[in-house]
Amino acid sequence: MAILPRFSTPGNVADANPDAWSETVLTLFDSVSAFTHFYDPTKVDTPDDAIVAPVVWPAFPASLPGPFVERLELADTHRGTQDEYCEWAVERNNAGKITRVTFTTEVPEYFEHLFETDQDALLELYHELVSTEVVLADLADEDGSYLRRNRWNDSPRGRPAHLMQGSNTLPAAVTLAAQATVLRERNGTPVTHPQALVVCSQLGEPLRGSDPQIASAVNAAVASGASVTLSDPVGLYIDGLITGGIETPDGTNPASFWTVERGDASHILRAAFEVREGEGHGYVVGDIKVDGRPIEFGGQLAVRVRVRIKAIVKAGSQPPARLPCEP
Amino acid sequence: MTCAVFARDVSLDTEGIHRLVVGEDQDPRPLSTAGAADELGDDFATLVLLQGAFPQSAEETVEAIKEAVPAGHRLRDQMTFVLGEGSQIAFSDQSAAIERSIRFVVTLGATANGPPEGPDILVSVFDPRQTGIELMAWDHRSGGFNYYRSMGRPSAWVFAGNSRHALVEPTEGKGPFESHKSGALLMKELKVPWVHWDSSFAHINATAFSPDDERRQHPWFTNKQPGGAYAFEFEVARPAIARWAKARFEALRASTGPIERPARIIEQVVATPTINIVSSIRESVAANMSTKPIELPATFFVDADGLAEVGLQGPPQFTVTGQIYAQSLQTFDVQLTDGGGFSQAGDTHFAFAVPERALEDVVVVREALAMGLLSRRLAACLLMTDFPNPIFSERRAALLAHVPPTAVVMNGGSSFSQETADAILAAAAEAPEGAPEREFAKRWAVGEDFDGTFNGLLRTYYDAVNAQLETQDGFDAYFQLAESRRQRVRDTMPIFESPLLFATTNIAPAALSMREDGSVR
Repeated sequence: MAILPRFSTPGNVADANPDAWSETVLTLFDSVSAFTHFYDPTKVDTPDDAIVAPVVWPAFPASLPGPFVERLELADTHRGTQDEYCEWAVERNNAGKITRVTFTTEVPEYFEHLFETDQDALLELYHELVSTEVVLADLADEDGSYLRRNRWNDSPRGRPAHLMQGSNTLPAAVTLAAQATVLRERNGTPVTHPQALVVCSQLGEPLRGSDPQIASAVNAAVASGASVTLSDPVGLYIDGLITGGIETPDGTNPASFWTVERGDASHILRAAFEVREGEGHGYVVGDIKVDGRPIEFGGQLAVRVRVRIKAIVKAGSQPPARLPCEP
Repeated sequence: MTCAVFARDVSLDTEGIHRLVVGEDQDPRPLSTAGAADELGDDFATLVLLQGAFPQSAEETVEAIKEAVPAGHRLRDQMTFVLGEGSQIAFSDQSAAIERSIRFVVTLGATANGPPEGPDILVSVFDPRQTGIELMAWDHRSGGFNYYRSMGRPSAWVFAGNSRHALVEPTEGKGPFESHKSGALLMKELKVPWVHWDSSFAHINATAFSPDDERRQHPWFTNKQPGGAYAFEFEVARPAIARWAKARFEALRASTGPIERPARIIEQVVATPTINIVSSIRESVAANMSTKPIELPATFFVDADGLAEVGLQGPPQFTVTGQIYAQSLQTFDVQLTDGGGFSQAGDTHFAFAVPERALEDVVVVREALAMGLLSRRLAACLLMTDFPNPIFSERRAALLAHVPPTAVVMNGGSSFSQETADAILAAAAEAPEGAPEREFAKRWAVGEDFDGTFNGLLRTYYDAVNAQLETQDGFDAYFQLAESRRQRVRDTMPIFESPLLFATTNIAPAALSMREDGSVR
């Protein structure tokens, strides 16, 4: 693989200013350069025998408390609860039945990049993804900066533009991966299990499905002496929809209702589950059953939407010394 | 243990197909090609065995199936999963001798993106390079999974039965159906966090193997499915369990005569033929490092899954403080032991692993309701009898005695539910105070519009449980109840295959049960 010439855009999407985006990611990697076993692939060689280590988790927030149905309701009504680097929004018909659920893993930093480098492209993207009614003024705050939680990207209903939950950011993912290269011990015993590692290193919420797994995978690799980085294009991706247990009224394969809307085939940034009008099915998403129950919440699908990040593991022989848990 | 017959050291013709359906066959017997072709309609038989190929190792078996189909065929889609009761104990000098029971499950015919019915073939083995293989393959002709074992050294392939053999005498409960009680796929640790599995909640790292164990480098380990048990639950286990249940009930619908022995179905509603295992989503070690409350599995307290099938209210999130949990671990001297000398203080990797109602039984409730065999009222009244004991309820199981010998379902309706209720009510009239029939009669008397009353009962119970969980004595009692249920699994269920399945305690064996007021007797 050698030296990466520059960081690619998320999902390899077309961009008029790819160097500017690469610079954004580069700055991010520079900010964690103190972590010796986390490396910048644009500066350090990645050999051909480096291992790609995918880490996968469900989009539905694992740490959300309460009975399952209440969790489904809560997740569907507050995007802020969707903290697994994947958010979704739901559209319903007049009868209240779900007609479409749209999932996104696209980081807000990329939209900020567009705001700063190509506002026409940003507006066009909003028109394509969210609504043709969006105007540029809707997307800026009083200071003229890009507004992540703008009125078009602040709702669990309709169509999301990109991630907006406070923890769902590219810096959060990169920093977590870098911090997870620190090996830990507690009372002389290595701390390796995902939740324990997150608690020990104070890396956030141990019950999340995402962060503990990312941290644990990175940490296990570094314990063998390896160095790690994140696979290019750096980002969080939708790995797919698990269709097992989804039953359509007419027996149509539910996978046919899953449409990738953004990103390339290997790096899906956005996808929607929808029974398209005009195909003669005569039903909507809300008529489809999951595990014997009609889809009443987007969360029923989110449980089955896989989110992924890929680490690159470069073999080495010198693991760092283990440090005690953070006080 | 009739399943043990497959471990016998026998000498069989390795170039032939054998049949050992325990209950019908005394010993493995050769099947003629015509006989095998007549009985076996799955892809493993038709593409491999009946073509004269008899692979030895598990990896040869998987490759033989894949090579038998053209590129692009779904059977070339492979997923590999890893699990093991001792898989979270890193290899060290101290832990070198532990029997970690690490094993591989390979599926063919599905990816993490489908199809909705799951894979057609599953292969389970301890070492990909060895024999001792368990294989399940969907029979496209007759429905249900065909169960195979590789037997002897060198090994021969033995057909051990179809899912339908689990449901009828003389094969019921024998051979593979000791564990696969209703003929369904078994994933013991079905739900998040899938204790003992490599998953999106816990990785099984190479450090679980000894440094010279070649499985560390085997592609089945290095290329195991990302997300592990997360994908297995939703793309393999749930679809496979539902697939067989649907085929089973479709066959009943298609039958022109009455349903014989409907008690075989109702047993899965009121009794506990088998179990799944569920735990807190919190690592037991992390629980001890944090002041946050520990989430307890709701199905320990109530049959949340079964009650959901009849539309009754689900329980709240039950929790206990880390301090109370930690004290219980000390009080009851909780240890992980392998029965061979290894012992480690503390609970299973995820805290508070307990048996719960098996999904295969929940799905039967769903299918029986959909078919019209069970009315919602009968199902609710059965499940609400002794509801504080979601599994191992002798009281609820006693109602099985009143199930009529046959049932007729026509056009989605049946008098079976009324007949069953009438039989229980008649028995209740003669039964002493406190009899389960009396309790059922009280539930039945609520009438068709039972939701409010039953939900009220459940809410009162949930409040009582929550109050108990705030005290050390209250949680200690639940810990003892949990241990009594675990002991029941150890003592009576062949799916208890490793001492590391559960932690051990100093609690004396006792048959404990929960009361409606949240206390344990």
